[in-house]
Amino acid sequence: MLRQDINELLTQTGPGTPMGDLFRQYWIPALLAEELPENDSPPVRVKLLSERLIAFRDSEGRYGLIDEFCAHRGASLWFGRNEGSGLRCPYHGWKYDVTGQCVEVPSEADNSSFCENVKLRAYPLVKVGDILWTYMGDPAKRPDLPEFEFAHVPPEQTYTSKRWQQCNWLQAFEGGIDSSHVTFLHSGGLKSDPLFKGAKGNEYNMKDTKPFFEVADSEGGLFVGARRNAEEGTYYWRITPWVMPAFTMVPPRGDHPVHGHFWVPIDDENCWTYSFDYHPARPLTAAERQAMIDGHGVHSKNIPGTYRPVANMDNDYLIDREAQKRGETYSGVAGIAMQDASLQESMGPIVDRTKERLVPADSGIIKARQKLRKAAIALRDEGVTPPGVDTAHHRVRSAAVVLPQAESFLDSCRDAVKATPGVPHSSV
Amino acid sequence: MATLPMYASESARAASASESRYRITVPIAPARNARVIALDARAAAVARRISDGPWTNARFYTCEATRGGGPADEFLLYGLDGVPATLDDTLRGTDVVVVIGTDDSGGTRAAAIGNACSARAITTAGVVLGDGFEADDAVAALRPHARVLLLSADESDAFELLRALRV
Repeated sequence: MLRQDINELLTQTGPGTPMGDLFRQYWIPALLAEELPENDSPPVRVKLLSERLIAFRDSEGRYGLIDEFCAHRGASLWFGRNEGSGLRCPYHGWKYDVTGQCVEVPSEADNSSFCENVKLRAYPLVKVGDILWTYMGDPAKRPDLPEFEFAHVPPEQTYTSKRWQQCNWLQAFEGGIDSSHVTFLHSGGLKSDPLFKGAKGNEYNMKDTKPFFEVADSEGGLFVGARRNAEEGTYYWRITPWVMPAFTMVPPRGDHPVHGHFWVPIDDENCWTYSFDYHPARPLTAAERQAMIDGHGVHSKNIPGTYRPVANMDNDYLIDREAQKRGETYSGVAGIAMQDASLQESMGPIVDRTKERLVPADSGIIKARQKLRKAAIALRDEGVTPPGVDTAHHRVRSAAVVLPQAESFLDSCRDAVKATPGVPHSSV
Repeated sequence: MATLPMYASESARAASASESRYRITVPIAPARNARVIALDARAAAVARRISDGPWTNARFYTCEATRGGGPADEFLLYGLDGVPATLDDTLRGTDVVVVIGTDDSGGTRAAAIGNACSARAITTAGVVLGDGFEADDAVAALRPHARVLLLSADESDAFELLRALRV
């Protein structure tokens, strides 16, 4: 359980809130690069951390992320004309560049300096990998660009998708460090999903449904190790890294690509789930890439032209009770991503954590909340830079290994959980 | 053939903020009967500090001053008031044991407690405070038994674990 005031502290990310200020210490995904595919392409509405923004790519290829609304009369710049190195409000022709600077007010005299004094709030927008990242904090404290491995391998080795999740970011994120649900909720996927099936580790998963956990601090967040029995005298370990505030990786299976997520608050009742797959040492095969596009693995099949999953709360996630009875899916919902989302959204927009009954196996979640709370308060009260801002903290990986029972996963997997360019991930 | 839901958007309605108002609200009684056992002197100091928390069903013990030369699973524990108790008595009626350790001196006792809990189907959690190396033996001894091991430099994690468990 969590006290209501702490639940509010962790779930509210708007401007001026402690957790909002914490998120504003980091580069976070703002949108996929594919959403602004070419110069002067249509602007895109972006809502992040309860701020309504507009993203555009100007005539020179520069990316901008600015206040959605024109400084003149408050019209949405989503209707803007992206032309001549700026975004022009179609109402009265005011024009802005990628820094939010107003560069033209047609109603003013030709040489008027009026527009120099008009500037919309703007944030940097930078392409790293398949994602356009933004930093919404104090410009003087802007950290180096993110160095997560999935965003730095060659393009043919990585794939990123995103989906709209209709709940607060925290309950979505908490699923990412909750390894114990896999054996139940995703058991069907272990047998059939083209991006999961066939791995030796799956057998350990299915044979031992009562994993033990070890939760350990890392410089950037946590490592959560889930341990199951393997062959005599050995344990099968699945190691999940969390980098603050919202980056997690799923332990890999066989030679399948390794995957993970970044949960980004849209507002307090919605978030974007960015899901990635990459292989550190080889290109994704055509079949793997197609499977990701088709919504397998951690990805979702989205309604064409949107980032809303085809299976969503408005159609009861296309639940199929017969498939559930046949054992094809555990919950009746198809796909790893929507199995998670359906349950997380069912809790309501912001789950009331005062009513929880947690068990020791939830210690990863308990510890993560504690770290988030402490970091937000330390930032608010003492200006302490939180873990995960330093890009060295980004260079982690998940891992799946079989170890002798006496060995500590932390000691034995120091190299396995480091992102080393070109070196395959440790997987079973 | 799949059965169609009663409404086209049953989940959408049920998951809305407005529907949350109709969730049944009843007081949640503490469901755990916990024992917190400190394995060593530093852990005992931590246990004393967190014992002041708002616990309903948690009892705290130390075993830093093990006496006698009997088998390991017969060593005495001590309540924070200094009253001795056998491990068997301590575990009677409990369903979760949280073991706190900070160094290797408690490795043998950790194994004995873990074994005793396993034999009695008591869920065991270990909180090992320090940099991860000072208590390797205790961690290794607890590993086969502890449903979760929390390796942390932050002693408030023990408090937060108990609070989350509603003990």
